[in-house]
Amino acid sequence: MDADSFGFLDAGARRELRRACFKAVCIPGYQVPYASREMPIARGFGTGGLQITLSLLTPEDTLKVIDQGADDSVNAVNLRRFLLATCPGVSATTRTGEATVIQTRHRVPETALRSGQIMVYQVPYPDPLQIVEPSESRRRRMHAEGDYARLWVRLYEDLVRFREVAISNRYPARVHGRYVIDPSPIPRWDLPKLHRSAALHLFGAGREKKVYAVPPWTVVEPLAFSDVPFQVEAFRRADGGRHACTRCGADDSYLDEIPLPGGGRRWQCNDQDHCDGRLAARSPAGAAP
Amino acid sequence: MIDHAGEPQPILDAAGLTRIHGRGCPDCLALTGDGPGTNICPRCRSVVALAGVSFRLWPGEILGVMGESGSGKSSLARLLHLDDRATAGQAWWRGEDDDGSALRLDLAATDGWRARWLRDRRLGMVHQNPHLGLNFAVSAGGNIAERLLCAGEGSFAAVRRRALGLLARTEVPRGRVDHKPGQFSGGMQQRVQIARALAPQPSLLLLDEVTTGLDCSVQARILDLILEIQRETGVAMVVVTHDLGVVRLLAGRTLVMRHGRVVESGLTDQILEDPQHPYTQQLVSAAL
Repeated sequence: MDADSFGFLDAGARRELRRACFKAVCIPGYQVPYASREMPIARGFGTGGLQITLSLLTPEDTLKVIDQGADDSVNAVNLRRFLLATCPGVSATTRTGEATVIQTRHRVPETALRSGQIMVYQVPYPDPLQIVEPSESRRRRMHAEGDYARLWVRLYEDLVRFREVAISNRYPARVHGRYVIDPSPIPRWDLPKLHRSAALHLFGAGREKKVYAVPPWTVVEPLAFSDVPFQVEAFRRADGGRHACTRCGADDSYLDEIPLPGGGRRWQCNDQDHCDGRLAARSPAGAAP
Repeated sequence: MIDHAGEPQPILDAAGLTRIHGRGCPDCLALTGDGPGTNICPRCRSVVALAGVSFRLWPGEILGVMGESGSGKSSLARLLHLDDRATAGQAWWRGEDDDGSALRLDLAATDGWRARWLRDRRLGMVHQNPHLGLNFAVSAGGNIAERLLCAGEGSFAAVRRRALGLLARTEVPRGRVDHKPGQFSGGMQQRVQIARALAPQPSLLLLDEVTTGLDCSVQARILDLILEIQRETGVAMVVVTHDLGVVRLLAGRTLVMRHGRVVESGLTDQILEDPQHPYTQQLVSAAL
């Protein structure tokens, strides 16, 4: 089968997207413009990631789609249904280890990614400089000249005002010592997973018509002062200990805080597959309840 | 700056700097200037902002650039700060590279990376309008931090310490380091601009009408501050102004500009006491 004519996208669109992805891989972190197509979902609902996934999929692929760590949320289910309906032969899975292409909205799976896997991110705002410089032409010049001082000033201002960096997600990171990227709204917890990752990470912004990439084994460094190191979420209890997942007991994963109807809160793994996997490994029957 | 033969070398050596806004024509320079009394070419309507400006600036020297509005003073400052490109001519800057080795660069022909490096580490600019020189969305300390971070400083504590030190040096109360420039008076905004410009310890500081719009007592304090800083740091300065009092107080030598040309240059005292060019005579007599 001709790899350029498969699935929802026409051959021209698929070729163009693949070329954009190749260029993005060749220049890690550089935002490659492309002609974002109309999709049967609205802009802002993951059209960038969807187009990349559509350009990559072949009948041999196994697909996983997650939204905020969950395989069964509305966005994930609808995207998966659409991809399976338009790409015949592609199989779906919820297991991170089995997938060859993982389309994600705002999380990186807890399970370590392996070589050969491709992560596809849905990106709302591809440019990390957007929060400090409204003019796109000036932002392009700043990227070209490696001028990221205003992002550093943002960290400085946070440290002065709050005594810590108050960026919870979209934390800017320098890729391969050159371009600074917006790693999509993944939490700070996930950023170290991009550093020297075995998998290829592709970021697609459909509304902004940009693709960028973190190739396998690439150095990804969060912006941080030498004397104020980058920190991930601690999930600390009042007594100083760490919250654990009430379902699987994990105390080394990214947790969701869930308010209870009668008051109080409980904590649960955000990555559904990871939590299910731990439960299955613990239960005698080998299956998640 | 001493060369191998032991001769002092200028920090800046400009020769024939020309800037024409518009498509230009072969007759632009001939049909504009002091004789025709205009800097707009009657043939192609291009604006000759600078024509053949040449001067030398020595280490630790303050050079005044004087003239009426539209004479090309600010255009010259913009060229020297690499905010604009010369149409013709050269401006050789001498200094040190990051590794301390001697470096000689033509400011009129630097590539983007070198221009950014020079602006970040070797040049400083204080604008007449604080909105051009300061980021009003971040604090005074943040404005200074931006320059330090551009110059490669990576420690938060060091950035903070240096920002406080620079603000104290420019007589901005330390307690206001986290206030935004919009909360400051005009004179204090200029002092924050000076602190910001000095942050990377530049070898050349460009001052574009820094006291314009300030009242007399604030002007005097700013000028005293500039002189003190120059004596302490030995930074070379180009002071662009239309105010004869400013050049008299600050500058050892002065260029007088009109229609984009240097019509007279020399020691400031000589120019102010014994002006030779009719335009300079007119300027001096108007001030008196």
